[in-house]
Amino acid sequence: MRFEIAAGNNIHTVTIARKGAVLHVAIGDRTVIVDARRVGEMAWSLLVAPEGSAEPVQGVDAALAAHRTAGDFDVHLAGRTIPVQVRLAGGFGRQKKAGAAAGTGPQRITAPMPGKIARVLVTAGDEVKARQGLVVVEAMKMENELRAARDGRVREVSVVEGQSVDAGAILLVVE
Amino acid sequence: MKKILIANRGEIAVRVIRACRDMGIDTVAIYSECDRAALHVRLADEAWPVGPSAPRESYLRIDTIIDVAKKSGADGVHPGYGFLAENHDFAAACRGAGLVFIGPSPEAITLMGSKTAARQAAIKAGVPVVPGTEEPLNEQTSDAEVLAVAERIGYPLMLKAVAGGGGKGMRMVAMAAELPAALRAARSEALSAFGDGAVYLERRILAPRHIEVQLLGDHYGTVLPFVERECSIQRRHQKVVEESPSLSVSPELRRRMTSAAAAVARTVGYTNAGTIEFLLDADGSFYFLEMNTRLQVEHPVTEMVTGVDLVQWQIRIARGERLDLIPESLLVPRAHAIECRIYAEDPDNGFLPSPGRIQGLRVPQGPGVRDDSGAYEGGEVPIFYDPMISKLITWGETRDHAIARMKRALAEYQVRGIRTTIPFFQWLLEDEDFKAARFDTTFIDRKMGTPGSGPLQAIAAAHEELAVIAAAVHMFARSPATVAASSAPVSRWQQAGREEALR
Repeated sequence: MRFEIAAGNNIHTVTIARKGAVLHVAIGDRTVIVDARRVGEMAWSLLVAPEGSAEPVQGVDAALAAHRTAGDFDVHLAGRTIPVQVRLAGGFGRQKKAGAAAGTGPQRITAPMPGKIARVLVTAGDEVKARQGLVVVEAMKMENELRAARDGRVREVSVVEGQSVDAGAILLVVE
Repeated sequence: MKKILIANRGEIAVRVIRACRDMGIDTVAIYSECDRAALHVRLADEAWPVGPSAPRESYLRIDTIIDVAKKSGADGVHPGYGFLAENHDFAAACRGAGLVFIGPSPEAITLMGSKTAARQAAIKAGVPVVPGTEEPLNEQTSDAEVLAVAERIGYPLMLKAVAGGGGKGMRMVAMAAELPAALRAARSEALSAFGDGAVYLERRILAPRHIEVQLLGDHYGTVLPFVERECSIQRRHQKVVEESPSLSVSPELRRRMTSAAAAVARTVGYTNAGTIEFLLDADGSFYFLEMNTRLQVEHPVTEMVTGVDLVQWQIRIARGERLDLIPESLLVPRAHAIECRIYAEDPDNGFLPSPGRIQGLRVPQGPGVRDDSGAYEGGEVPIFYDPMISKLITWGETRDHAIARMKRALAEYQVRGIRTTIPFFQWLLEDEDFKAARFDTTFIDRKMGTPGSGPLQAIAAAHEELAVIAAAVHMFARSPATVAASSAPVSRWQQAGREEALR
């Protein structure tokens, strides 16, 4: 099976196959032998063969947390939290094109976290400048002001003060 | 006392429930709508609803809480910290309803809750205070009058809310030109946070340490101070790491600071648990800052180095027992303890709040580790309350030993599904100045530099590759083809894989 996996600033092409009791994971130009045991719904005990070795002995305790978008995870290992995005081979090419198209369109201001709308600072039809405050989202006693990325006009305000919103909810659109 | 109502939620409610259980006392939890399945509700003997999720409509409703206390047959009320813990009306309402309030008297809360009255109490006890205004500057005081007072004190100075706390209503003023705007901002913030716009001025001590002294006082005139806590590691005026003892406090200075703290408390006839906060200047002089009339978040570090259960003593004092601890034993720290406050905030994204469902939780264990938490796997961190989900405390024979154990514990700690401040502490504990205890209250703000300048810790290439491998293994295991082709008799793999394929 072949995946494209984004981590940090890199997109890795990864091919994975079962060979008897172990997995062969080809990443870049090397193949890593992995003995994988599931230890929880989202948790794995991995024994990984170090570079230049076929003995899977290096202990890696890894656990994942799923993000809202399918294939996006936080991988927890070695005391670190590492965000990764997994797509089937070719998946990132398609997504990039879609992303580029959206970049030239209107700005959709979305909630960065679940919370409550503390204040709406603009109304539909308002001209706004880059960095101008548009809406204030409150969660856990902290207020976060969301600003316009560039100059534009408010096309639509989808929320009212006091309303609860989920992470990723579209709050308003600037064109 | 047979049954105690805990007028709080989350990790501190759990902490109090545990102390009650140790003493064979029944517990009554209260919960808001979104907290029905919270850990404190699961652990208490009884749990009563007190209203909608917004704190104003539930955990701050004095009438509802008193009503529940009476209906449940509780005879004592523990306020925890935050919410109603420093609200004299609540303490008075408990007394009025025949309930024992596990804390100081409403009169002591009122007196020490006013920053200016507390300063006067310190002066009366012969304890130095930071030079500043003795009378509150209320909303009627004109800018010109405030400017004249500021001129006498000297710049730079701090503008603080009389009813303040937690950094709210607080502004640094470097010169006269900044004062009018800072005054407006501090007053409006204080008014909305505490319902009182009165402020006062204090000279700003440059680069001080924040040192505080825990106290217990009984109803027979005994007040005992404990070895100091070092709380200089603060972010936006909020403590994030606390330890005990402080490397900057010698036994001689400890004797003077703890005696001064006890003197302030005796002056006002203080009872139960409280804390006197001091600023310690680089030259070794110290100044009374304020008194907190409640248990504090950082109480566990004191418990770890003295062996005293402070919450249990709060209850024992409230039911009329004598404070018969050996005074000298409280002033000699047993080795070293350190605490990190674990918040549901994303340190790599400007400390943005990160509420949500905890998909997985692995709590650190082993020698010298204590986790006081309100979280569990599958539990929700709601958007309505303080983001602190746990306090992680380690104890070691030396400060270095405690720090090494903290690093180990932080690496074991996995909170999956939400982001936490664990990476922030991992970054901090590697800092050379932190390791050498060379810091003051401006440390974090200086070190962090500009916000949003990338992740606190670069992920090593080797770890990144392992994360990629782990993700590939996980996705491979859940693909329908793999599940169908697998002839392994391990049904758990198949079952889990099938479940996931169906999502």
